[in-house]
Amino acid sequence: MRAALEAKRRHADVALISKVHPVRSHSVAAQGGINAPLSAGDSWESHAFDTVKGSDYLGDQDAIEFLSREAAQAVVDLENMGVAFHRGPEGKLAPRNFGGASQARTYFVGAITGHAILHVMFEQLLKAGVKIYEEWFVTHLAIEGGFAAGLVAQEMLTGKFHLIRAKAIILCTGGCGRVYEPSTNALICTGDGMSLAWRAGAPLMDMEMVQYHPTTLANNGALMTEGARGDGAQLRNALGDRFMIKYAPNKIDLASRDVVSRAAQTEIDAGRGVDDGLGGKTCVYLDCTHLDRDFILERLGEIYELALQFANVDITRQPCPVRPGMHYQMGGIKTDLDGATRIPGLYAAGECACVSVHGGNRLGANSLLDTVIFGHRAGAHAAEFARQVDFRPLSEGVVMESERRAQAVLSRPANGESIAKIRLDLGRTMHQHAGVWREVKGLQTALNTLYTLKERYQKAPVQDKGKVFNTNLVFHWELGYMLDSAETILLSAIHRTESRGAHYRTDYPERDDQRWLKHILVGYRPDGAPTIEYLPVTLTRWKPEPRVY
Amino acid sequence: MRYAWYPGCVSQGGCPELYASMVKVCSALGIELEELKGAACTGAGVLTERNPELADTLNARTFALAEQVGAPVLTNCSTCQGVMSQANAKLKADPKYLARVNQHLAPEGLEYKGTTEVRHLLWALVEDYGLDNFKAKVQRPLTGLKAAPFYGCYILRPTKVLGLDEKPARSRYLEMLIAACGADPVDYDGKFKCCGFPILTLNEKNSVNMVGTHTLDAKAHGAHCLVTPCPLCHLNLDGFQPKAAGLKGQQINMPILHLPQLLGLALGLSAKELRLNHHIMSTKAVMEMVNA
Amino acid sequence: MQVTYRIKRFDPEVDKTPRFQDFTLQVGENDSVLDGMIKIREEQDGSLALRCSCRAAICGSCAMRVNGEPRLMCKTRIRDAAPEGLVKVEPMGNLPVVKDLVVDMGPFWQKVRAVKPWLEPPAAKPEREYLAPNEAMREVVGVVACIMCGACVSDCTVWEVDPNFLGPAALAKAYRFVADPRNTDNDERLKSLTEYTGIWDCTHCFYCVQACPKDVAPMERILALRREAIKHGYTDHNGVRHSDSFAQSVKDSGSLNEGRLAVETQGYLNLPALIGLAPVGLRALKAGKMPSPLHHKRPGASQVKRIFNELEKEEKTT
Repeated sequence: MRAALEAKRRHADVALISKVHPVRSHSVAAQGGINAPLSAGDSWESHAFDTVKGSDYLGDQDAIEFLSREAAQAVVDLENMGVAFHRGPEGKLAPRNFGGASQARTYFVGAITGHAILHVMFEQLLKAGVKIYEEWFVTHLAIEGGFAAGLVAQEMLTGKFHLIRAKAIILCTGGCGRVYEPSTNALICTGDGMSLAWRAGAPLMDMEMVQYHPTTLANNGALMTEGARGDGAQLRNALGDRFMIKYAPNKIDLASRDVVSRAAQTEIDAGRGVDDGLGGKTCVYLDCTHLDRDFILERLGEIYELALQFANVDITRQPCPVRPGMHYQMGGIKTDLDGATRIPGLYAAGECACVSVHGGNRLGANSLLDTVIFGHRAGAHAAEFARQVDFRPLSEGVVMESERRAQAVLSRPANGESIAKIRLDLGRTMHQHAGVWREVKGLQTALNTLYTLKERYQKAPVQDKGKVFNTNLVFHWELGYMLDSAETILLSAIHRTESRGAHYRTDYPERDDQRWLKHILVGYRPDGAPTIEYLPVTLTRWKPEPRVY
Repeated sequence: MRYAWYPGCVSQGGCPELYASMVKVCSALGIELEELKGAACTGAGVLTERNPELADTLNARTFALAEQVGAPVLTNCSTCQGVMSQANAKLKADPKYLARVNQHLAPEGLEYKGTTEVRHLLWALVEDYGLDNFKAKVQRPLTGLKAAPFYGCYILRPTKVLGLDEKPARSRYLEMLIAACGADPVDYDGKFKCCGFPILTLNEKNSVNMVGTHTLDAKAHGAHCLVTPCPLCHLNLDGFQPKAAGLKGQQINMPILHLPQLLGLALGLSAKELRLNHHIMSTKAVMEMVNA
Repeated sequence: MQVTYRIKRFDPEVDKTPRFQDFTLQVGENDSVLDGMIKIREEQDGSLALRCSCRAAICGSCAMRVNGEPRLMCKTRIRDAAPEGLVKVEPMGNLPVVKDLVVDMGPFWQKVRAVKPWLEPPAAKPEREYLAPNEAMREVVGVVACIMCGACVSDCTVWEVDPNFLGPAALAKAYRFVADPRNTDNDERLKSLTEYTGIWDCTHCFYCVQACPKDVAPMERILALRREAIKHGYTDHNGVRHSDSFAQSVKDSGSLNEGRLAVETQGYLNLPALIGLAPVGLRALKAGKMPSPLHHKRPGASQVKRIFNELEKEEKTT
């Protein structure tokens, strides 16, 4: 939405196409806040360094510098547009602490920061008069003569396929968290844009970098914000020990997420886990009980509700069992600083893109920042690009191609294997072999499984044969996208024979800057195995150092 | 059983038949009423909307008067119940606020200590008196009468304040009492909805439309009459039914009984004692049906 | 535990009228109603249409009627919704059904758009943020918490009889801007909200307060807007006269004078409306229900008047 707004402000004719109503998008679930070096004594350099260190030196430092330099203005812009950020005594913006940050620079609205920002973005779209096609599902990205030329989308209300011509297209389609089971991600996070761009010829970068958030609920994978620890909550194991002191003596509970997740998982694997309420001991405690009840209710009300509902725990009175859960895809469609992919006219921003500012591990509260900074930037450049080019000729044939694919699925007898079963097998495989710990045998097993899943997918039917609001067919499209994302994750993860950021190889436990201070890009080939390519990491002023929290 | 009775403005104004039937029914049941003659209007939500503290103070005054009587407040009005429940919850939850409110009661020598309970006749009969005890007093079972309950918003919502979260059965008490009278409760969509009274003077068409919708809905489900524990609902459902019939373009002719009137019929009281002739919509069909 | 879902289904391409279908399944102790719905969709009937996404009560997709009451399915536990093993799920009310549990949210968004749902900040942009007290931000965040799920609209009793009513969600949204110290066009906003379909059309039924899964209490926001509108001088309205007359009556006598209320609400000079009251009055008179023109003071009326004076004075000074 930030991209659409920027393009519209620059007088482009903009339409926003979304498979859900814009305010249902998954940014709505971002809880803790958005980073900006705004307070006295903070600096963009400090924010940038924390981000570089958090990325385990895989982030491109030119992109990170840009992110940090622009962050203050971006957050002020959001405030000026109406976001009701928390204030300090003089009515000025006041931040909270967050993981991996050398000082408090996370600006927030209770534990609903993403929601608050997303709704303001929607308000601004209405104000600017951006045309919105909601509940339109994109089935094809059309490339003509090497340029992005348009797309095909299915209108869910009617089932009708439409051709939308465009001089420039910005993909802001979010992550692919549903590739994993469990995941904190919404059901809509199925990597649609990643797959569309990949198949159109834009490579995916850093896909092995999959973030596990340390504190998710066992029952349904719901996220318990890092803001809780930012506001003073502590992690404890079954013995009641604050185990993070051992793993990160300086930052303790506020070390970066990859570090905390590995520590928690180590405790759990060593038998010091606590009851998950599902019959196992797969959790550790997130303990807020020493914090004031009213303080919790104002700043962490959302997770108070979640824990009460789904874990039956009143966090103001009892410690809450949590465990690491898949949360974020650092990788994505490779873009430059303008959000441009390698296909002229095709842009990407947000979680689906990889600039790369997050590298091997994203800092908490940098994702909302990423979306607004690079959304803004991509919107501006796409508008400029569109001014300079003409529409590409595009035949209605591409629509018929989508219709044909839909018809092929709809005409399969309904009694085959369900797409849900394939999705579940995929998710469990990924969680088991490409989660917190990885090693070559498991990854290879997962890849083999993935190829059989792809075969099963080709035969899987849908039960809903109708046109109107056929969510069954939508899930079918989505599963295809997920299988692509999963393939690129596994290929990259097998390839990177070192441990860096969120990618921890038990068979290669050390970081290896000599060989692996570089990005892995996976490219699509219609008639063969995917390609692998490397790009050096851009270093500006920070030399790789051992990472200690 | 003894209550500090709060009759409310409407039973002393537009619905005198409610006042009369309430007195008769309680007497027949052996319920002792100590009328709070000096209590003010609850504000009916209108005062709360204008000036919450003013409304809470007037209600605190009523509660303090009840403390002097040494009995729970008994109402015969859903709206009074709702407004008093909300005020009471607020006063009881916040001692500082209660102290501030009490400053305005002090000149009169009153102080609300926070001990008063407020109970609508509907609740009192089921929870205090007991349905079996009531049934034992029934002299004229209303066999064959199909009565549709109409609760009134304020006695239902918000459920947290009206005690329905702990006692969900409170949303079925009317049906239980109708059955205890020997009549058949009618289930229909409108029973928990709004009668439209609060917007009568603001958007009469919508208000009257609500009257028509719910009375016709009940009629379509076979109801011979509506029974309501709320005199404001009564005012609208009864008084504006002719207009509603006009708006809907069809006859409705749905008698609207106050809760005590229905109970009184079952207890064997006469139609005259219950002032069933003081309605806009004739209650004759009901009287004939139960031989009253 | 084993539960049965009784789901209201409607496929516009097949069904003439909606029908109920039962599904029986095993669910977990803390599972939400949504978890079970997803399980049905995945394991029993892939054609079941519903909207859902985040599973964490923040995206606002999955509001439906659970046992007749509007709920976010992801925020409702099965064990609470089906203590006896049966849960009934239907689409929200007041909005047209598209298919199964999917409703057309078009009318909902149309109302949201109608209240100009964006901040109009001061023209002079500050170098950094606008200064605003955190107290005010907290008040605003109480409404920002709205996830636009539509649960309040589902059971709005005014919307039911008058689809032109702006409704609880849009009006709460409007309040979000009026309450924001950074907003500059409150006067205009309040003026338009005072018109038909706006704040004075709410009937105070508490359904929206009860329905809201995020404790936004839309009705309370509507009432707050009324207070703001009066402060801004938008008093030429039956709602304001009604409120004034009501208060004056209680102040004067300790109780409500319905006859006076009816007349004063229309305004003594509003002859057509007063004539319109006549048939109602006549019918009341005939039934022996006409409130006495001699409205008697209650005992204690002087104390009531004193309390009025004290608190009205306090209100003016704050």
